[in-house]
Amino acid sequence: MPEISNFTMNFGPQHPSAHGVLRLVLELDGEVIERADPHIGLLHRATEKLAEHKTFLQNLPYMDRLDYVSMMCNEHAYCRAVEGLLGIEIPQRAQYIRTLFDEITRVLNHLLWLGAYALDVGAMSVFLYCFREREDLMDVYEAVSGARMHAAYYRPGGVYRDLPAQMPQYEASPYRDAKRLEELNANRGGSVLDFIEDFTRRFPGYVDEYETLLTDNRIWKQRTVGIGVVAPERAIALGFTGPMLRASGVAWDLRRTQPYAAYADLDFEIPLGKEGDCYDRYLVRVAEMRESNKIIAQCVDWLRKNPGPVMVDDYKVAPPPREEMKTSMEALIHHFKLFSEGMIVPAGEIYAAVEAPKGEFGIYLLSDGANKPYRMKIRAPGFSHLAAMDEMAKGHMIADVVAILATMDIVFGEIDR
Amino acid sequence: MANPVKRWFQSFFLLEMLRGMRLTGRYFFARKFTVQYPEETTPQSPRFRGLHALRRYENGEERCIACKLCEAVCPALAITIESEERSDGTRRTSRYDIDLSKCIFCGLCEESCPVDSIVESRVLSYHAETRSELLYDKIRLLGNGDRLEGELARDRQADSSYR
Amino acid sequence: MLFFAQIVAMFVTLLVLLGIAGFLVFAERRVLGLLQNRLGPNRLGPLGVGQALADALKLLCKEDFVPPFASGLLYRTAPILVAFSALAGFAVLPLAPGISWAGDWEIGLLLILALSSLHVYGVFLGGWSSNNKFALYGAIRAVAQLISYELPMGLALLALVLLAGSLALQGLGAAGQPVPLIVYQPLGFLIFFIAGIAETQRLPFDLAEAESELVAGYHTEYGGMRFGYFFLGEYLGLVLIAALISLLYLGAWSGPWLPGWLWMLLKTGFVIGIFFWLRASLPRPRYDQLLHWGWNALLPLAILNLLLTAIAAALWGTL
Repeated sequence: MPEISNFTMNFGPQHPSAHGVLRLVLELDGEVIERADPHIGLLHRATEKLAEHKTFLQNLPYMDRLDYVSMMCNEHAYCRAVEGLLGIEIPQRAQYIRTLFDEITRVLNHLLWLGAYALDVGAMSVFLYCFREREDLMDVYEAVSGARMHAAYYRPGGVYRDLPAQMPQYEASPYRDAKRLEELNANRGGSVLDFIEDFTRRFPGYVDEYETLLTDNRIWKQRTVGIGVVAPERAIALGFTGPMLRASGVAWDLRRTQPYAAYADLDFEIPLGKEGDCYDRYLVRVAEMRESNKIIAQCVDWLRKNPGPVMVDDYKVAPPPREEMKTSMEALIHHFKLFSEGMIVPAGEIYAAVEAPKGEFGIYLLSDGANKPYRMKIRAPGFSHLAAMDEMAKGHMIADVVAILATMDIVFGEIDR
Repeated sequence: MANPVKRWFQSFFLLEMLRGMRLTGRYFFARKFTVQYPEETTPQSPRFRGLHALRRYENGEERCIACKLCEAVCPALAITIESEERSDGTRRTSRYDIDLSKCIFCGLCEESCPVDSIVESRVLSYHAETRSELLYDKIRLLGNGDRLEGELARDRQADSSYR
Repeated sequence: MLFFAQIVAMFVTLLVLLGIAGFLVFAERRVLGLLQNRLGPNRLGPLGVGQALADALKLLCKEDFVPPFASGLLYRTAPILVAFSALAGFAVLPLAPGISWAGDWEIGLLLILALSSLHVYGVFLGGWSSNNKFALYGAIRAVAQLISYELPMGLALLALVLLAGSLALQGLGAAGQPVPLIVYQPLGFLIFFIAGIAETQRLPFDLAEAESELVAGYHTEYGGMRFGYFFLGEYLGLVLIAALISLLYLGAWSGPWLPGWLWMLLKTGFVIGIFFWLRASLPRPRYDQLLHWGWNALLPLAILNLLLTAIAAALWGTL
């Protein structure tokens, strides 16, 4: 009697759909999965260890690079943690700017997620359409901070600089005649806020386009309905947060339950799903994109009407403006102390979390009164989600593993840190 | 009565797929979004963080006074500085290296510099054919500064009200 | 003398076909790009056409390797089978009433169906001989898919043969002359179209080489010109199916002003364009869902189509 054993396959680190470096060891019975075993750690960069040796300001660019598709949300969690330990309140305008950019980051993340998900399942065009929207948002990132992706824009104490009054324009080129140039620069004539407002006007139409290609499509529905179903109690037990949890029907969103930044004053809905399958997660995230659009519009409105400082006044935390630094002795000393030694954070521990696009991104910071953290622990949402991979994938087929992996919105920067 | 019929009609004739195809078909004839690099470039703001440069004053004197703030604040430890008294008694660097293979282009060095000496320019495309070419020493950085001074000054001026 | 001229002419046809396959690789990238709101390759040559030559040269200049863990003979045979089954089909395809290599051969359609079955062997051997789990998965999927969709394809064609009364491709083309056969066989057209896409393994039916699931499926372990053969086979199969659709259903060489063979080419090009369009728009079903469609949806429809055609033929006679 021949022995039948399961086929073990390495859904290896080098794979077009492994969403980063994931070594997923699959035990298969034909095409049905008996066991899925994720091996992580291929992107481990020792962020938490490095954080203990860098000052609080120097740690900030590391936060960008954790979940590298939703950069500013990671920075936000870190800044909230440091500000909590310092016990300072940041100006209201800075809160609104942070809210605005959190939502822009949410749209960026969901656009990339949608594009990558559609590409994995086979609809290639959605990927490119989503990236066109991302281009506009990355131009906003760049206008405000200088970098399209890893912005290092939020600082403990507020944000780096105020929003510029000018948006960078397209230049003339052999392929662009005057009329085309005018068309391209039509929405870049004013400030960054004007550009963002124009984006919020165009965006719902684009989301409608993605939905036309995917939501009603029977092939898409066949690939996602009923795949990776997670019951609400099980979702809570496994530690899901964010859209994964909301798609199972649990109404838990940190922006509503533990409001931070300016979320308490804004008007938006939290989309909820019913079944907890991949299709519901898709619908929840698309609905979240629309809600984010609304929030962005409200923030732009508020920011237009309320100029003001964007950084806290305390020079022990935030560097003074350059002109003052060049003329006043105290400001110069503060500048030197801040950039060489860094800010001194009183001893204490704090856990600060934000509703990152993937879920609850939290930073646990333990300070012993020095200029560097004593311990920084990063709570990444993707970690709990990936841990549930085995449970979600059992009984499904290889093609479903791709769909499930994509629906979890896995980014290895935050899982491996 | 009409609804099951309509549903059957939609299902049999694959109507939602045809709607999706109509969308892609419309894009076939629409203007494409591609920016044809290198003849065309995407817009860059004055805050853009690109290749580094060391600036000089109007009279030709180099701005850097070897205060080493940039070296202290760099998260990636990419800057190496050694300083010496120059023949005319001023404090200047004898060695100022930026290792571009370590640099994360965060802009903290530019922020920390009290004399606006080390700045990040708009240059985003540079290349090196060996590892050692990626180590930009003082002469190359000053060279960058000299070459790009017009643009650097304009960008700092444009952003001055926010800094 | 005539024999020698024929040999040369066949060789020229072969080269033209290879050229067309190469051009199609480029055309697909370009058209796909245009559908996806970007420009495809447009730098090399006028409008980017030089890309096809560059791709061909690249494949020719690559290292010719046989992995040590693969079964040598099968590994080497598989690409040849695939390319051959695609190329040989063109021998019976008529461009216009007089232009065809096989003349008015009585069983041209049957040859094409037989060659598509040979194609299955090539694909399967390619995956199996590679001694690679991903390739094996791709091969198994490919075999199941290809066999499943051959049946509805054959049945749809059978209805056509019933109407036209001949298996010869010339005859079938002639039957569509005043009125294209799509008018008489709309359901059959739909079935043949879908089954044709499945036979050539294009999206939405490209699971065997699903780029995002199995890396490259059955041709994972192939490189250089061996991979080129697979590619050739795939694109030539595409042209063959498109040519068959335009020959059988879209009225072959009928059309005003232009000569018949030009119409034939234009219609083939149009059908290929629709294939590209489908590739850009639709996601990919799962493997078992695909087989489910083939067996539970297309096959009963094809039988129904055949039945209805038979009844109609009995009542009103054939063409």
